[in-house]
Amino acid sequence: MAALPRRIIKEAQRLQLEPVPGISAVPDEQNARYFHVIVTGPADSPFEGGLFKLELFLPEDYPMSAPKVRFITKIYHPNIDRLGRICLDILKDKWSPALQIRTVLLSIQALLSAPNPDDPLANDVADLWKANEAEAIRNAREWTQRYAMDTTSM
Amino acid sequence: MEQFEQLLTCCVCLDRYRNPKLLPCQHSFCMEPCMEGLVDYVRRQVKCPECRAEHRIPYQGVQAFPTNVTLQRFLELHIEITGELPDPTSGQIMERCNVCSEKAYLSHCAHCEKKICGDCKGAHMDIMRREITRINSQIRRSLHRLQDFLAAIDKNTLNLRTNCVSVSEEIDEIFRRVSKAIKDRSEQLKGEIDRYLLTEMRNLISLKENLELEITNIQSNCDVADKHMNESVEWDDCELMDTKEIFLKTVEFLRNFEYENTDYSRRVRFLASVDPNQLVLNLASFGDLNITPHTATSSQNSQHLGVPHQQGLMRSKSDHRLTTQFRQQEERSYDNEPVLGGRKFGERPQRNADRYGYSRGAGDDYDFDYDEQSRPSKTRFRSRFVRSHQNDDSDTEQQRNVRQLKDSDAKDRDKVLDTEDVSRGQLSGIIRLYDCPRVLKRLQSQGKEKKEKKMEPQKTAPQSQTRMATSAINRQISEDDEISRMKRQNKVPVVPSMATASGTATTISVDTERPTANRVAALKKSTTSAPLNTASEESDSSHRASPVHNSPAKSEDDSGSEEESDSSLQQPKPPSKITTRSNSTDSSASTESSNSAPNIVSTKNTVPSKFTTKETVKAPTNRGTSVTNATTDTKKPFVSRFLPQQSSLSVEIRSDKYESSSEEESTSEESEEEVGTKKSAVIARNATTPNSSAYRDFPAQKATRDDILLRPSYTNSSLSSHVRSRAVPAPHHSPNDDNTGSRYGGSSYTSGPSELSRSRSSHTLKSRDTSPVNVANNKQDGEALSSWARYLKNKYGNRTGKDSRDSGASSAGSAMSVGPTTARRLSLGLPLRQTSEVASSDDDSKNGLGSPTSPTVAPGIAGVGTSPKTLYLRKRQQLFQLGGRGSEPGSFTWPRGIAVGPDNCIVVADSSNHRVQVFDLNGMFLKQFGEYGNGDGEFDCLAGVAVTRIGQFIIADRYNHRIQILDPQGRFLRSFGSQGTTDGKFNYPWGVTTDALGFIYVCDKENHRVQVFQSDGTFVGKFGASGRSEGQLEHPHYIAVSNTNRVIVSDSNNHRIQIFDVNGKVLSTFGNEGSDEGQFKFPRGVAVDDQGYIVVADSGNNRIQIFNPDGSFLKSFGSWGSGDCEFKGLEGVSIMSNGNILVCDRENHRIQVF
Repeated sequence: MAALPRRIIKEAQRLQLEPVPGISAVPDEQNARYFHVIVTGPADSPFEGGLFKLELFLPEDYPMSAPKVRFITKIYHPNIDRLGRICLDILKDKWSPALQIRTVLLSIQALLSAPNPDDPLANDVADLWKANEAEAIRNAREWTQRYAMDTTSM
Repeated sequence: MEQFEQLLTCCVCLDRYRNPKLLPCQHSFCMEPCMEGLVDYVRRQVKCPECRAEHRIPYQGVQAFPTNVTLQRFLELHIEITGELPDPTSGQIMERCNVCSEKAYLSHCAHCEKKICGDCKGAHMDIMRREITRINSQIRRSLHRLQDFLAAIDKNTLNLRTNCVSVSEEIDEIFRRVSKAIKDRSEQLKGEIDRYLLTEMRNLISLKENLELEITNIQSNCDVADKHMNESVEWDDCELMDTKEIFLKTVEFLRNFEYENTDYSRRVRFLASVDPNQLVLNLASFGDLNITPHTATSSQNSQHLGVPHQQGLMRSKSDHRLTTQFRQQEERSYDNEPVLGGRKFGERPQRNADRYGYSRGAGDDYDFDYDEQSRPSKTRFRSRFVRSHQNDDSDTEQQRNVRQLKDSDAKDRDKVLDTEDVSRGQLSGIIRLYDCPRVLKRLQSQGKEKKEKKMEPQKTAPQSQTRMATSAINRQISEDDEISRMKRQNKVPVVPSMATASGTATTISVDTERPTANRVAALKKSTTSAPLNTASEESDSSHRASPVHNSPAKSEDDSGSEEESDSSLQQPKPPSKITTRSNSTDSSASTESSNSAPNIVSTKNTVPSKFTTKETVKAPTNRGTSVTNATTDTKKPFVSRFLPQQSSLSVEIRSDKYESSSEEESTSEESEEEVGTKKSAVIARNATTPNSSAYRDFPAQKATRDDILLRPSYTNSSLSSHVRSRAVPAPHHSPNDDNTGSRYGGSSYTSGPSELSRSRSSHTLKSRDTSPVNVANNKQDGEALSSWARYLKNKYGNRTGKDSRDSGASSAGSAMSVGPTTARRLSLGLPLRQTSEVASSDDDSKNGLGSPTSPTVAPGIAGVGTSPKTLYLRKRQQLFQLGGRGSEPGSFTWPRGIAVGPDNCIVVADSSNHRVQVFDLNGMFLKQFGEYGNGDGEFDCLAGVAVTRIGQFIIADRYNHRIQILDPQGRFLRSFGSQGTTDGKFNYPWGVTTDALGFIYVCDKENHRVQVFQSDGTFVGKFGASGRSEGQLEHPHYIAVSNTNRVIVSDSNNHRIQIFDVNGKVLSTFGNEGSDEGQFKFPRGVAVDDQGYIVVADSGNNRIQIFNPDGSFLKSFGSWGSGDCEFKGLEGVSIMSNGNILVCDRENHRIQVF
């Protein structure tokens, strides 16, 4: 396998040197294309106070194709399914090589602030979110508390 | 500034723009790989990463997008401002990497000889770095070899020097001796002449006076007669009568007086018995330097030395002659195939001149600068060293620079020019890395803080070169500055890091170079061949010794073909007491030993005292016994005789020793001198001095034939007179000499029956102790008794220890008794590497030739301090092996019997080649003899072999059903036996052995018995019969006799070992069928060492078993196979005096040594 592209090295370095507030991405020791990501729940969102673990994998043809990102921590979010998969356009067809890990993670953080139940992945959540946003937000807060604030599970 | 930089960064690769292409949406991206990666080939579109605008790709591809020239200008501006060095890959075209097939900027990789991408190259360099680390540790591990060799060379230098010094001392000594002898002789002769002249003169003078008186008288008488005998005077008749009578008497006197007017001019003549010219010639060619050829075996392979330059290193360890040869080859081949292929260190192979891709147009400042900076050393190298390469330079632009550099750099260059070659190892061609300008530069630029492995710079070279290129220090310096900088760089590094190189002894380059250099120096110095190891030293000494031994003997060879002289010839080595008696062989031995006598004394400090003591004791022991021999006539059983006799013997020893030591210098030296010159001296004297009746006793033909006869009486009568005047009489001369003298003189030989005297004539001329004791026949055995006594004495006499005090006085006695090899070894100051071995081989040559149980070996081994038990317990590892299937010398076809001969030579019965082969103790082939047939000296599938203590070979000629005895040269002496079942006949005789007294024991295999013979072949006895009970044998194969006279027989088909006493009574039996410890399956070879440990070749189990003297199991090793320590069909075994076990591995056609 070819060595790490310069870009990945640069990005990893920059993530270490100039970390984005609320986001930490640490490359795996064995696989530099695999990142352990922790995103803090954005303020003023039901996910506030939660620490969400994600995994991020840079495919072989990165940056020409989007990184693969998945939530590990359970989260109650209309655009994130039970398996942690994320419905985000820039991770799909809207990917651009100009985007970077940091921008992707920022987008994910933004997604937490602004759930988009109109383009759902977890349909039940989206339905509830549309039908009874308050309850959905309560659920989300509950899940955050249950799964994302349990320091022992971190 | 940061924003500015960000603007110059491609958002796709996050790197500085390279060849930025402008999309119609006004966004710019590097052409490769960014733009390429954006292409949607299906739709022939490119989607802008920034604005997601989609653009059609031009027909020619993404290259057709316009280059963002503005951006490029900004890039250049930015580079100028920051001083940052440009990306080395700028301006290159991406290609598919030949390793990972990724598109990347490629460069040539020296590792795989391909153009590969930077990543792969980095990986390759990593690999190489790791390999270097690994190899380096290998080198470090094996470096000690060179250091060992260095030490060995030091040692050898010392040894060689000592050797040469001692040899030259020896020569001086001989010269002194010879000249002294000549001087003494001439003085003696002159004295005699003077005396003769004096008496003759006195006679002549008195005669003259008398004659004068007569003449006066007669004249006066005549005058008186003339004057007065006339009438004038009155004479009475009586007076006249008297006068007449007087005159008549005078007449008669005058008539009769006759002066025998002999020729005084030739009265005395000097007669040389030997043609003086011949003598001068002999003296002129006296002695020879035997320079042992190098043993090629010393060059083992060093494959484990997994060094890149293995060839060189490997060869460098072989002996220096090979290395010189090698060096010549190398020198030649350096031209063709030097270590780095003729390049200087770190230099690129030539074809890669354009590896950085100078494809851009000439005159491009950027490029130009870059070239100058990134490849300064390269241009220098090329211009400096590889002139021929210049012609190949295709990039003219660069050549201009090169020339420029060359001119301005010329002086400097000359200084640095040869740094690499200076330290080039002459043996391996390895250069010292620290001397490579490139390495120096690299290290300097990398800085000391980077503690890399010393060789790493070599491999990081390409990488760090680029790094250096981008290090952005001197980018702005003008060309002149550049040159001067390089000058500085070149000058500075060479000197200080040369210093560091010499200072740091830890670097491999230093380590390897130094020994090699030293070695080379040493090799150059030594024009003569220096023995590489002690083994060759030994062979050296022994080789040197042998011609000296043989040459005097050879002269004897012509005249004396009788058995006496023959047998005396057969034993050139052991001087023992014969030195005093016969000079045929010992003229050499004695001169030599007397030679080395002072040396022994001088070197004695280094020798273990025990060892010395032992030797000093031995000679007098022999003499003492011979004295005792004369006096002892009592016939007692051996063992009972031993104790009382020992005391008397020791007394003898002491007195004898005292005497011999007191007269050490005088007697030995004088007598030796006389021996040396005796022939001429004695005969000349015989001729010139007819008065000395002492010489007349000897028959004329004997006097002319051999000097043995003259020698004793000479010593006794004339020599002893002046010897005795100086020192205590030498009583030990008298018995021996008298005996010999009388024997040769023809008077009756009283001490033994004729048969004994016969056997003695064949054996004891050299050493009496070999004469067999005929126990069974109850012969009168004064002779044998003496030998037995001596045997016991040799065995136990040393342990009395009372002689150690006198050991300082080891002189004539020790010198004579010490085997020539040892004496020489001592005299040469060679290290007594294996004291036991030397001692025992020495002993072997004296006492225990061929008897596997040389009695005196025991103290020798014990003296070393390792008990044989531990020695045997350690046995497992094969020391070496010899042979291999074949019929050429050194190969075997079914070797069977094996024996250890004098001086530890290995004697192998090469059965199906019908010959005997002899090897030295290191396994070097010495000689072979015998061929197929049934005549004398011919064999038919011989099996067992044994060597007597005087070096005769006893061979079981199996299919000829006979035993043959050959002399040490391999010439047929006699044979006995034929096929049959009666006494003295054989049915497939197999193993043979001989004991200390010379009896021959034969395993008569198909007759299921052991037969015992005297050394002359006379049947003595037999024991064993077919059967399974105790004392019966079933196909006995091999046999051995211990020094305690235990006869050990491998009772093969009964799967046991039986031990008999000499009379055939069973002492013990051990082993039964099986494969456990102590069990056997068809045991074959047996051997016993001097301590009684028994080694059995357990043929069916393909292993060697070692047993304690009491028959209890001690150790076993080996298994079936053809590897080391594996056997297929074991045959004979034998034990050398140093404890090495020799094993005949029949089906593998080899001898293994453990």
